[in-house]
Amino acid sequence: MKQQLLLRYLVVLAVATGLIGCTATRNNTAVLSPPAAPEWQFHSIVDVEFVMENATIPMPDNVMIIDARPYKPKYVNGHIPGAVSIPDSQFDKQVNLLPKDKNTLLIYYCGGLACKLSHKSAQKAEKLGYSNVKVFAKGFPKWKKTPGNYVSVSVDHVAAALEKNQAVIVDARPKKPKFDKGHIPTALSIPFTYFDKYKGKLPRDTNTPLIFYCGGLTCKLSHKSATAALALGYTNVNVFSQGYPEWKKAFGASPAAAIKPGDTEGSMDIATFEKMLSETPHNMMIVDVRDKDEFDKGSFKSAVHIPVDDLEDKIKDLPSDKPVVFICSTGARSGEAYYMIQDVRPSLKNIYYLEAACSFNKDGSFEIKKTEG
Amino acid sequence: MFKKIIVSMLMILFVMVSTSVTFADDGPGGNKRKGKYTYRKVYKACAQRGEVSEKKPPINPSDKTMAQWQRIFENKDFADFKCAPEWAALSDEDILDIYSYLYGYAADSPSPATCK
Repeated sequence: MKQQLLLRYLVVLAVATGLIGCTATRNNTAVLSPPAAPEWQFHSIVDVEFVMENATIPMPDNVMIIDARPYKPKYVNGHIPGAVSIPDSQFDKQVNLLPKDKNTLLIYYCGGLACKLSHKSAQKAEKLGYSNVKVFAKGFPKWKKTPGNYVSVSVDHVAAALEKNQAVIVDARPKKPKFDKGHIPTALSIPFTYFDKYKGKLPRDTNTPLIFYCGGLTCKLSHKSATAALALGYTNVNVFSQGYPEWKKAFGASPAAAIKPGDTEGSMDIATFEKMLSETPHNMMIVDVRDKDEFDKGSFKSAVHIPVDDLEDKIKDLPSDKPVVFICSTGARSGEAYYMIQDVRPSLKNIYYLEAACSFNKDGSFEIKKTEG
Repeated sequence: MFKKIIVSMLMILFVMVSTSVTFADDGPGGNKRKGKYTYRKVYKACAQRGEVSEKKPPINPSDKTMAQWQRIFENKDFADFKCAPEWAALSDEDILDIYSYLYGYAADSPSPATCK
């Protein structure tokens, strides 16, 4: 009898426990269910894996990834490789950038889950008749956070990084003839084919921003190099996908013929220098050969810093497609740098120095005074 | 007569002063920019050979006056510079360039300098 009672008690307990469990499960289900999608959310959302599968270089004709954020500063300073910029605010004006084939896969993204721009653009595209439109709702923040991903930057970003000396620019094309024929000022030559051999040229600090480039949108070398740099542990890896053709388009080739020499051998006419500095600073490479403490107090915005004591080791990195102009505080060290090139790398022809005293003020202004050679 | 002597002496003095000023301004006449590079190159080679421990030249332009540099180079007395094989290998033009550099930045020059 007692045994029967105990058995019934256990059965009741088990049923009750089961019921509570079921209720709890139902309650949990209610808690975990996603909140209702906001009205503005597009109906077809994709995750980062989907985007990674489709973000191939070069982009296939039947896929277009579209950045719906403002061109400046968002797209310029970082976007998904291969993405086209059609800001939502410019949708109507730039609708001609969309592919003619309405079956093309369009993947819109913007600044993350709270950003409506990609959803708005996707809806507009669908209204135009595009049948395969998706939104990568987690957008650019998720792309950047995902291990193994790097970002693309635009020519304006590269120029700003160069001016502020804020990134190491790496040319991934073959050195001969591509790099030797012309490259972005200050760029290191690390051809992808020899990446392992020359990776020691990369900065030791793995947090240093790196910008890889090669021969344009269809060139894979910079992307492969970027992936290799990520594998080495570099945390700020960028690709200038439009590469050297875009750089040349924006800043032109070497204007060597326009340069007027100064009074002394190897010097550049100061007025010519000042004109180039104000109008086309990227058409020459200014190398400040003073010591670090002097350079830190001020220099020309577009100048790169190579102290004269370190110059010999870096002579091979100087470009041959643009004039290189050495500057210092009196003309002595810049003149020394000029003669060092004549001695060590005489094949480099576009070399000048300023026979002038250059002084810089805290507010960024400067003075160039001619000295006697 | 006395006046003539005074005038002549003044003229001689004027010529002497102007000559020395001209000489001081022009210096030895070499290429001091090139001389700076050549001077440092001498010690780079000498350090590689092992005679001196540092690549930097041991004597700065401002370590001597213009007159002292003039005396050293006119006498071709380069013993203090050490690195005799490297000095011996220099051409007359190279030596003139180095002289111009050292003289141009001497202690009593308008812009005395170290080998910076």
